[in-house]
Amino acid sequence: MPENAIQLLLNEWLLDVFNPQKRIFWGYLLSSLFIAILWLRLINKINFQSSFIQIFNRNVWGSASAFADYKVMFINAFLMTILSPRILAKATVAYIVFYSLHLLFESKPSILMGIPQWTIALSFTLFLFILDDFARYWLHRWLHAVPLLWSFHKVHHSASTLNPFTVFRTHPAEAILFSVRSALVQGISTAVFFFFFGNQVTLMMVLGASIFTFAFNLLGSNLRHSPVSICYWHPIELILMSPAQHHIHHSTAEKHIDKNFGVALSVWDWIFGTLCHSKVGEQLNFGLSGTKLINPNTLKSLYLDPIQEAGNLLLNFAHQLSLPFQRENSA
Amino acid sequence: MDIVIKRPKTTLAALIASSLVFGCVFAKPDMYGNFPVTEKSYSGKKKDSTSYTGQVARHVLHNSLKKLAGKGNGNPNPELKATMMSYYSSKDAGRKIIDPTSKGEFKVKQTMVDEISKGKNLKGKTYKGLVNGFPGQMSGPEVFEFLIDKASSSNKGFDPVTGYNYPQLISKFMMGAVFYSQAVDNYLDEKMGADNKPNNKPYKKGAHYTGKEHSWDEAFGYFGAPAHAMALNAKQAYGIAKRKDVKVADANGDGVVDLKTEMTFAHAYYAADSDKAGTKYMHTIVDAFIKGRQLIRDADGAALTDQQRAQLMSYVKVIKTNWEKVIAEAAFKYAGSCYKDLEKLRTIVESNGNASKAFAAYGKHWGELKGFLMALETSGRSLGEAGVRMNRLVGYGPVLLGGGQVTGIDSEGNFLIGGNRSMGEYQVHMVKLQKLLGDTFKLKARKIDVTGEMDDLLKSLGSSRAAEND
Ligand SMILES: [Zn+2]
Repeated sequence: MPENAIQLLLNEWLLDVFNPQKRIFWGYLLSSLFIAILWLRLINKINFQSSFIQIFNRNVWGSASAFADYKVMFINAFLMTILSPRILAKATVAYIVFYSLHLLFESKPSILMGIPQWTIALSFTLFLFILDDFARYWLHRWLHAVPLLWSFHKVHHSASTLNPFTVFRTHPAEAILFSVRSALVQGISTAVFFFFFGNQVTLMMVLGASIFTFAFNLLGSNLRHSPVSICYWHPIELILMSPAQHHIHHSTAEKHIDKNFGVALSVWDWIFGTLCHSKVGEQLNFGLSGTKLINPNTLKSLYLDPIQEAGNLLLNFAHQLSLPFQRENSA
Repeated sequence: MDIVIKRPKTTLAALIASSLVFGCVFAKPDMYGNFPVTEKSYSGKKKDSTSYTGQVARHVLHNSLKKLAGKGNGNPNPELKATMMSYYSSKDAGRKIIDPTSKGEFKVKQTMVDEISKGKNLKGKTYKGLVNGFPGQMSGPEVFEFLIDKASSSNKGFDPVTGYNYPQLISKFMMGAVFYSQAVDNYLDEKMGADNKPNNKPYKKGAHYTGKEHSWDEAFGYFGAPAHAMALNAKQAYGIAKRKDVKVADANGDGVVDLKTEMTFAHAYYAADSDKAGTKYMHTIVDAFIKGRQLIRDADGAALTDQQRAQLMSYVKVIKTNWEKVIAEAAFKYAGSCYKDLEKLRTIVESNGNASKAFAAYGKHWGELKGFLMALETSGRSLGEAGVRMNRLVGYGPVLLGGGQVTGIDSEGNFLIGGNRSMGEYQVHMVKLQKLLGDTFKLKARKIDVTGEMDDLLKSLGSSRAAEND
């Protein structure tokens, strides 16, 4: 049985490695490696051998923090196979929205007729990408701002070294939120476009992934969590989030707290005032500042402690709510 | 020992030789028909025990009645009503075949119903249970008599006040309440019992076919497929009903289409329609009919053993489930048509255009939808919750331009119109109905699937399951 379970997990994981819709698709890992080498050779002027040593730094990939990432990645793959059928499905969202639109609109606006198919496909693909990125920004921001949510998101930030698999260092409660976010974004976009444009709507794809997701991933999304800090020219950093900007998000420095919540686009951070530019050569420490976890890389502190903390917060909150009533009763 | 070894050899050799010589004979089971007489008590001259002309006569009565239902001039018309009733309930001689008739090169052999079979009617074989999907708490025959009365006084079969299209309602419900119901709830049900119409006795005294042979033939006849259906593709079988290609229909090459064996009727036509979208309903059903008939023929006039009957019932199961799917596929398609019609109507209403033509098309599609749904409930097997939901989603009439629909029938037989369902709401109901039909009957052809492309689009986005952080 345990052998079967391991095989199942490996299959699940391998599916992601061979799925161009996933960030750890081998092609994206390879393109990230290529970009990292180019950066280190051309900008940092480091020779080939040193570049390799920096990229495959044993203190990064072999750290206790990294091993915790790997463990969480496999445990979550298993948990998600159990959880995902019970999480809100995008089809449910899509149908509710599709039905509601019939009641909201008398008929479909005729100005929408005659728009070329490629324009509709491009609009849909772009809309989906932007709405998804926008939703990611705000959920991420709330994960930091709301104490109850922070007790779970903390798990991700407890990583003291960053490698591409750190994206999987996620508490299952957070994974549920991400799935719901994704279902809402995909369900709403699909239903709205399908209602107005019918079968003319398609997703513009490369290798089965949206062209924008593909571009984002091909252009080194894996470097967001990696030992190589790539900075963009500052005007670009207002629009696109550089890997170094995400490193700042993980930094323990006081001035970096609550900065750069964005994913592919940094424009949300710019608009809502949470943007921080990167500095070439800046040395950063990753992990939690202030409320540190005691043993951040044990399964107990990664899975159970957040639940306990969230439970305490809720109890506290309930207590606060009942205080006025208690006073009334005693008076 | 020697004999035991040798015997299979000789049998095999004989088999090879005979299959070479009588190759055509062995290919025969691809046709439904020409099964030898096995009934021991019969001493007459007939050689073929296959017989389902009574069913073909009823197909012709149904086709003709449908034609008549569209002949009204908008005023009460007792004469038309009497003619329609003669096709529905009388067994009178001298009834003309109004449909199918010859059309150009497509020459039909028979012109009178009696040339196919004498003394047949539809009423006697109509589903007697309560028809849930129709207002007024009526039995099957009561519904038809009511519809015939209304049709006779309508203008070309259409009532613009209710949106009812009588030829469609009568025809689509009749295919279920007579043909489907008789086949799956009588001939392939009770009459397949061990003691009911046994194979070692004639179907009725003096008949040249056994109880099981004829019961099976009658069920096949009601399906409506031409005897050479296995040699036809979906498009060809469909085209026969449309009287397109006489060469495809005329299997025996005598230059005319024999309605008894060469025509496509009723649900066989809808099976072929589905199959044009990739399903194999017609061939699956006809193949099971042929295999079952061959099994009965092989029993050679003896009572079927338990094992033979079990095998036969496995064919029955194939026929019943696929036949039900055929009807559900048709309902699915017309739910999609109604959705599209409503979309068109809403645009016309919005721009203050003339909606009468589009409304008539909608009424026609709705009549087909309703008829097929009512047909699904005549199999003798309750559809349970799915049936209740189906009827609630569709209601008793198409939702009208200003909202509302038929809600019942008063004591004088007039339709009551009420409710406040809007056209938009009804569009949603059509989508929900498609989902319900698709899931309940596991449909594959899914013609005019309103949200099929949305489902595909959702699928193309990949899994929304996300354990990855930002
Ligand atoms: Zn964060």
